[in-house]
Amino acid sequence: MSGRAIVATVVLTLALVAAGLALLGTANPVSAGRTVVLSEAVEAPAAHGHHLPPTKGSGLYQFEHPGRRQFDAGQVFNPVPPPPTPAPDGVREFTLVIEEDGVLEVAPGVKVPVWTFNGTVPGPILRATEGDRVRVTLVNKGRLPHTIHFHGIHPANMDGVFELVAPGGSYTYEFIAAPYGIMPYHCHSMPTSQHMHNGLYGMMIIDPKEGRKPMKELAMIMSAFDLDRDGEADFYAWNARAFQYADHPIELEQGEPVRMYVANVFEEVMAPHLHGNMFHLYPTGTTLQPTEYTDVKTLGIAERAILEFQYDFPGYYMFQCHVSEHMEQGLMGWLHVKERQHVAAQKRR
Amino acid sequence: MASEPATPNVVAETRRGTTLVVASALLPLLLLGGILYLFVRTGTGLNLAAPAPIEKIEFERVEFLPGEIRAHVINTGPDEVTIAQVQVGWLNRSAWDFTVEPGPTLPRLGRATVVLPYPWVPGEPYEIALITANTLIFTHDVEIAAETPRASAAMLGTLALLGVYVGVIPVFLGIGWLPFLRALPQRWYFFLLSLTVGLLVFLGVDALHEALENAARVPGPFQGVALILAGLSLSVLGLYAVSNWLKQRRKEATGGLVLAYTVALSIGLHNLGEGLAIGGAYALGEVAMGTLLVLGFTVHNLTEGVAVVAPVVRSQFRWTHLVWLGLLAGAPTIAGTLLGALAFNPLWAVLFLAIGAGAILQVVIEITRHQVRQAGAAALVGGFSLAGFALGLAVMYTTGLFVAV
Repeated sequence: MSGRAIVATVVLTLALVAAGLALLGTANPVSAGRTVVLSEAVEAPAAHGHHLPPTKGSGLYQFEHPGRRQFDAGQVFNPVPPPPTPAPDGVREFTLVIEEDGVLEVAPGVKVPVWTFNGTVPGPILRATEGDRVRVTLVNKGRLPHTIHFHGIHPANMDGVFELVAPGGSYTYEFIAAPYGIMPYHCHSMPTSQHMHNGLYGMMIIDPKEGRKPMKELAMIMSAFDLDRDGEADFYAWNARAFQYADHPIELEQGEPVRMYVANVFEEVMAPHLHGNMFHLYPTGTTLQPTEYTDVKTLGIAERAILEFQYDFPGYYMFQCHVSEHMEQGLMGWLHVKERQHVAAQKRR
Repeated sequence: MASEPATPNVVAETRRGTTLVVASALLPLLLLGGILYLFVRTGTGLNLAAPAPIEKIEFERVEFLPGEIRAHVINTGPDEVTIAQVQVGWLNRSAWDFTVEPGPTLPRLGRATVVLPYPWVPGEPYEIALITANTLIFTHDVEIAAETPRASAAMLGTLALLGVYVGVIPVFLGIGWLPFLRALPQRWYFFLLSLTVGLLVFLGVDALHEALENAARVPGPFQGVALILAGLSLSVLGLYAVSNWLKQRRKEATGGLVLAYTVALSIGLHNLGEGLAIGGAYALGEVAMGTLLVLGFTVHNLTEGVAVVAPVVRSQFRWTHLVWLGLLAGAPTIAGTLLGALAFNPLWAVLFLAIGAGAILQVVIEITRHQVRQAGAAALVGGFSLAGFALGLAVMYTTGLFVAV
């Protein structure tokens, strides 16, 4: 072969190799994160409208999203608190067992290890009437010391700060339920941030002696999970499961009065917000008359409130945390207001 | 010792010898198979479980299409991994709807494409976070979002033309200096060879540097640095083999033309890698393709033409060889830009750049030996040689100022 032929062969081979790799290579191209400078040589980008994908519903968490990433109905945390009941002899007894080997599906497909009161995150919703003698027995089945700290008025040795309950031990907290309102409870063993983050929180509702007007009730705890422990939460949630009430909307009736007990147990400020409606606000639940008529309320750390509202028009309404970042990572859901034939005219204010 | 007739005893012994050889070759393999089978069936008896699951997902490429983001990922962890949730970050992360093709569970070294119907805005930074079923999070940052160019006749034409501007034309321009170089006095030929060595050394180190950069982006299991080693050494040895074979065929007195062809081949391979880098950068929207860049590359590669003809300044040959030399050195750039734009993969970039660097190394060695044969080893460190080498480096560095980002 002459030199020319060799050169021709080599160049042709390279060209063929290049063509072959180009055909194969569509499967394995590569990225880089280097700096980019768009220049006049690149075509001008298309108008913004060109970039919007077809969407339904909120456009963010698709209203009809792929079924396999939904929560099963069985995993949804029941948002309805136990109704107020009279206490036998004015005494209420509860047993809360702490376990450290819980697994919670915080978002469909993502399971995190959690520490639980009675096997659930959030812990069970406790209810008492102002003046009841409350006895809560803590049984510690974990490997670390735990406590229960109640918000409310009680003696210092029932506060759940100094009296650490050792693994395998138990302790009975006894106090008179006071004042009426929403009193969160959580573990206060150190480091408290870890014990709370891992799921040891819940809500106690203390009703005023005269009771509140009976109506449909919902209890919602706002919290979040930091999966990779980088200081930023990765999923936020109503009742510890991101988007669960978007997968399974809460059914309400048009014109039906609703009372929602909301508590923030996370280390960030939250802003619960109802769409298409306003609510009467009882901060901390410690008043019998509402103090505000609004549609969003900032709940600081450990703050809580009672919201009372009713929906006049049917349809789906989002209820969310108005911190957009929180909403986008799970703190949203739908209230499905069903049509009623006869809408009772209620006094609004 | 006189050869014995093959008596039955000798034959039997030979057969026994052969059997022994075969058996001793097979036995360790059979034993290994047996051990592996036992491990699979009954376990190793070692408690080597990691305290937490070890997973690793690497992003190979992220494409931006109108209203859609496609992230091509590969599982480089030891076990299979399931992508459970995806979040897209702009300032903060949002959980987003997604599908994984072919499926959310990836076996080891398995690939998948995460498709996100997301309204991305050009020029904005985005972060794609994959959350696995074991709650590990793998992220990829896109500093500026830009629509990924799709293969079209216009784009391919542009890239081929780019290859011509950047590769072919400069080489031929450099070759055009041949009459001038021939007219120079004898001792300038030595200077010229040293200049060429300086140019090539610069190119070779640059190629190695880019290969190392790309090796860092190759997913772990594919061992980018090992590929550099393989490419470099195989290309050095391979080129020696090729040039020896060529020398035998041509039986030339000086071998100058053969040397010129090896220089052209090595530069061609290097240009393939360079074209790959340019094409890949364009496809990823990374290149500021202003005229300044094209200009810079053109001037930078002018010197390659000089390097190609330097060995044959004192030789006689048909002019058609110049055409072939030019094409051999310049045309692979076109293949490189097209390949880089359509199917860039750091794996191929590493290989081609390493091969290019090895080829350059071989050529540098050959030219140096050529110089020693001509003027002796002492001349290598004489004034002319050093001046030429230094000038070669200086020219490459200066023209590189227009090109390097």
